[in-house]
Amino acid sequence: MSVSLKSAWTQSDRSEQRGQLRRMRWVSLLEGTTLIVLVFVAVPLKHMFGYPAATAIVGPIHGAAFLLYVWMLSQTISAGDWAKREIVRMIAAAFIPFGAFVNERALKRKEDAMAVTV
Amino acid sequence: MGYLWLKAIHVAAAVTWIGGMLAMELVVMMVPAGPHRRAVGELPMLDVVRRWDRWVTSPAMLVVWGLGITMAVEAGWLSSPWLRIKLTIVVLLSVLHGMLSGTLRRMAGDPGRASPALLRHAAPLTVAAVVLIAVLAVAKPF
Repeated sequence: MSVSLKSAWTQSDRSEQRGQLRRMRWVSLLEGTTLIVLVFVAVPLKHMFGYPAATAIVGPIHGAAFLLYVWMLSQTISAGDWAKREIVRMIAAAFIPFGAFVNERALKRKEDAMAVTV
Repeated sequence: MGYLWLKAIHVAAAVTWIGGMLAMELVVMMVPAGPHRRAVGELPMLDVVRRWDRWVTSPAMLVVWGLGITMAVEAGWLSSPWLRIKLTIVVLLSVLHGMLSGTLRRMAGDPGRASPALLRHAAPLTVAAVVLIAVLAVAKPF
């Protein structure tokens, strides 16, 4: 015996995906902010002012934020419909300072588009 | 907290994380890959595994990351080759876990969507990754 419950799940699935996109935006901002602090504050403090503790503190924090970003990104992409171009941009942004802020806008647009189609 | 306590909690969290991932991988393997009519019990099974992931597996992974990074910083291992290889494997396992979570969410919402072929072979890959991690963390060969 089998049963199809597809229609009953579609709306709650969309609302769940919107929640996921919202969380992804916050994680994107967190990763982007820690990258900027690492590149523009901690690294100059280490190499120009002789404070190696700056990178020793910020480095692991950014490492954890980066892990969270790649984990959330793979979750978000696997759950939704993403074009290859969007996926490449989301991955590349994790390595480019300020890239996360561009991504955050793109994620917001995707979230808004999903809200309209509910 | 002493190193041994951190290590004990780290290992316990890692076992919980990998156990949860293996359960998710087996569920992905059990559900038909292409469009299908849901079998009785499929949705409850997906629901249980997804709830376990949300409340147990994912938090365990976060504990693994947090304590792993803390121990690596405190012991000064971040520049060691064995740890760099281990970290790379952990990143790949985290990506795999994310793919499993997302795929299970999509499977719960739409039985017509195929799961990525990689996930159907993920269980042996996960076990191989765990063996590599165990060797690297215990033997620290380089």
